[in-house]
Formats: sequence, C-alpha cells, structure tokens
Amino acid sequence: MKSNFYEILELNTNAAQHEITTAYERAKTTYSGDNPAIYTIFSDQEARELLSMIEEAYSILGNKTLRNIYDQRLLGQSKINPEDLTYDSILNASRLIFQESKVDTKKTSFVRNEGFEKEISDCASWTGDMLKKVREYKNITVEKLSEIIKVNAFYIKAIEAVTPNNLPAPVFVRGYVIQIAKELGLNSKAVADSYMKSFGKVN
Amino acid sequence: MELVNMLGSSETNKKNIWAIQSGKGGVGKTFVTSSLALTLSKLRYSVLVIDLDLSGANIHTALGLNPSHLNLRHYLEGAKDISQIIIPTSYPKLSYVQGIWDSWIPFNFNEFDEQKFIRDLRSLDFDYILIDFGVGSFEKYFNLYLECDEKILVSSPEPTSIEKNYRFIESYICQNLKSKSTPEAFGKLISTLRDFRHKSLDKPFSFKTYLKENEGLTLEPFNKLNREPIKLILNGIRSQSVADLGYSIKSVCNKYYGLHIEYVGFLEFDNSVWQSVKNREPVLISQPFTPVAGQFLNICKNLTEPEVLRAVI
Repeated sequence: MKSNFYEILELNTNAAQHEITTAYERAKTTYSGDNPAIYTIFSDQEARELLSMIEEAYSILGNKTLRNIYDQRLLGQSKINPEDLTYDSILNASRLIFQESKVDTKKTSFVRNEGFEKEISDCASWTGDMLKKVREYKNITVEKLSEIIKVNAFYIKAIEAVTPNNLPAPVFVRGYVIQIAKELGLNSKAVADSYMKSFGKVN
Repeated sequence: MELVNMLGSSETNKKNIWAIQSGKGGVGKTFVTSSLALTLSKLRYSVLVIDLDLSGANIHTALGLNPSHLNLRHYLEGAKDISQIIIPTSYPKLSYVQGIWDSWIPFNFNEFDEQKFIRDLRSLDFDYILIDFGVGSFEKYFNLYLECDEKILVSSPEPTSIEKNYRFIESYICQNLKSKSTPEAFGKLISTLRDFRHKSLDKPFSFKTYLKENEGLTLEPFNKLNREPIKLILNGIRSQSVADLGYSIKSVCNKYYGLHIEYVGFLEFDNSVWQSVKNREPVLISQPFTPVAGQFLNICKNLTEPEVLRAVI
C-alpha cells in the first residue's frame, strides 16, 4: 500500500495546519493502545505499522517547511518519482534549503611559550587585558571567537576593554566571560570570579 | 437572503428519506429515530416516522402514544392506501405509521413490493420521512434501504456493537457489489475476502484495488457508496474520549475498506432518558433542556444543512 501522507492522515491537500494536528491526534488514539474500534479489523502488528506511517506523515505535514516541500513535489505539474516523496528525501531537501553554516571549530595552532603559560597558570586577578593577551597568544581573532561561542564581537571587545556601558547586565557578562575562558582553555570559574570582581569595581 | 436560499434548496433536493439502522440491537435505534423526528419537527419540518422494525414495533411507545389498530399490515396487504395509515400525533408537524404490531399471523415479506412502497413514500408531502429499520430487516428490505437518501447507522461504544457495525458495513458493500457484478467474479471476491479473514493473504486487502484489477466487477457501486456516505451516530457516550471512537471507526473504514463514512455526532448517556422512557414520554418533550436535546439538534443540523455548519468551522 503506497499512499501519500495526506491519505494516511485522511485529509485534503488543502487542510489547514490545525486540522492536520487534530487528524494526527485522532489517528494516534485510534491505532495505539486498546482501541475497541480496531480490534476485529487490524492485528497488533498492522496497527503498529499504521502508527509508524502516521508518525512519519505527521512529522512532514506537521512542519510547515517540510510540508511546503512535500506539497511542491506532490502537487506540482511534473510527474514525480515515488522516491522523491519519502520521508528521508523531504528531510534532505529541507537540509539543502537551510544549510547550517558550518563553524570551523578546528583549533588554531599557536607557538607555545612556556613563560607565558606559567604566567597564565599563576594569574590570580583576571582583567580584560589579560583575556586579550591570552586570546592573541592562542592566535584566535575576535571574529573567530565570536563565531564559535556565539557572542557578538562587539561584546567580546567590550569585555576585553572592560567598558560596562557597552555591555548588558553583569549576569550576562559573567556568562560571556565563562564562554570566552572555556574556549581559551582556562579555568572558567576562576577566571569569571576574578574578572567579575574587578568588573564590579569599574562599574 | 442566505436563509431563504437554503430553505429553498432543501425543498428542491429530494434527500428526505432517512433510513435508521444499527448493526446490533438495543443500541437505542428506536430512541434515536423518535428523537430525531421530534427534533426535526421542532425545527418546523414536517416529519413522518415509519416503524419497520419486525422484531417489535415500538416507536409509538418511544413517542408516548397508544398503539394504533391501523398499521403497516393494512397497507402491505392492500387494504389501505399509504396516506390512510398515517396517524397524526399530538406533536406539531409529526406523524407516524404504526409498524406491524400484531404478531398473530406473520406477514409474508416475499409479497412486499419495495419499489411501490418507495414510490408511494415519495408521493407524500413531508419534508422528512424517517424509517426505523429493525435489526436484521436490512437484508429483507435491501432494495428499500438502497433507495433511502440518508443511511444512518446507530452504534453504542461497546466493542460488541462496533464489531457488528463492521459486519454490517461489509455486508452492505457486498450486497451493493453483488447486483452489479457477474456471479463468478462475485464468488471470487467472496472467497478472496474469506482468505483475507483467515490471514492467508500476505498483502492487505483493498476493495478499491481489487475492483480495479479484477474483471466482471465494476468500481461504480463502490464509488457511489463513497459519494453518499453512511452517517454514523454514537449513542450512550460517557466521556469525550469515548466520543472520539466515532473518528476511529471512520478512520478504520477508510483504511480497511476504503469506504468513506461520516461521523455526524454523538449522544451522551443521560439519566433523563431512561426516566422519561419509564414514564413513556419522549425525553425531548418532558425535559427539553437536557444535554441530549442539544446533541440531537446538533446532529439534525449536521444532516440537514451540512454546508452551513462547515462554513462556521
């Protein structure tokens, strides 16, 4: 039995989104559990198969983007391959549309400097300057760091320059510092604690 | 403006003979028939109820009337015209035809001229004619049943009743196909169905594909069943999740038989119903504001003006 997702959920192709959800919920109660409406008709195995088809149909039709792709293929003018209407192919097509920008998280190489490493491990009071030095030592640009930890480059610069006026509430700043420290391979808790101490004084 | 159009169209289309049937006895068929009739009459339609229940004609009891000596037997045996056995009731716009109430001599149904009966019914001046088919009388008056414009199936949410509904639907489909196919092809279809029931077929059975692929059978009667779907009413509902069984039954018919049926509404279990039945009074008259009255109104609207309701949603 090869039916399209609308047939599985017993809907018209122009069904509204909320109708799809209702149909899915009804179908799910019908074919799961001990529903008296199915017991003389479908075996447990058949009911399970139907249920998995229903789940698949809803995961496409219940999502507007995926439904759009499916509709274009199903209702389009040209004859379409059955393979292009499967769950996997729709999902792949959606990945092509929304390509996740690949972040190059590969660690950049830097020249190891034993003296500076010692300075880092001994450092007790962390300031914006020190963070900047470590970042430059590890050969990471502000833009790169911003891309990796998903914090605006403007904020990273402001943290390094310690200009509270350019930053959000301290609780967020602390979060950013933790992220930066983690990425720079530092003890994030110690760094954040000491940075926030001096940050509070500037404020 | 809209209203005028709507009323106009409901008079011109001939969809006014309703057959009320159930797979199993005792699910409230007579109660549903009498209450639908009362609701329609309250909506100012003129209504005629015909009691065709062989196992015991008792629409009159459900309507709180005394049995009339004039009954269907007089018409069937040719002693009276159909218009002469119609008995007006005390409810406005509602009349009824008493079923065969005396059981002294069984009526020979081989002499029953269904075509004449339906012609006579169509000549009557009623907005709606409701026929209460008794359990098992469906096969006896199959041609009459086919001629009815709306086929209403009443079921209770119990598994026994639901199972019998499916048997009823299967028999209904097969009876429809039988008259339009060659005997050999029909015999083959039945044996295929039998194999399928015993799980000796490996792929799921579908009437639609079978009819397309095999010679001597036509798809047309099956398509007709889909164009004029059976209407399902669930009676005696005790919770919302049980009311949703109607959608489940609909879905199973769709997936298994490829048959489209319509779920037109449910009737909640209501204590006022048995109290009224005990007093031999229609519940819609003795307790007009009980929830069931609203549910009947809802069902009647679904059946008489489906397009209006859809617009509201």
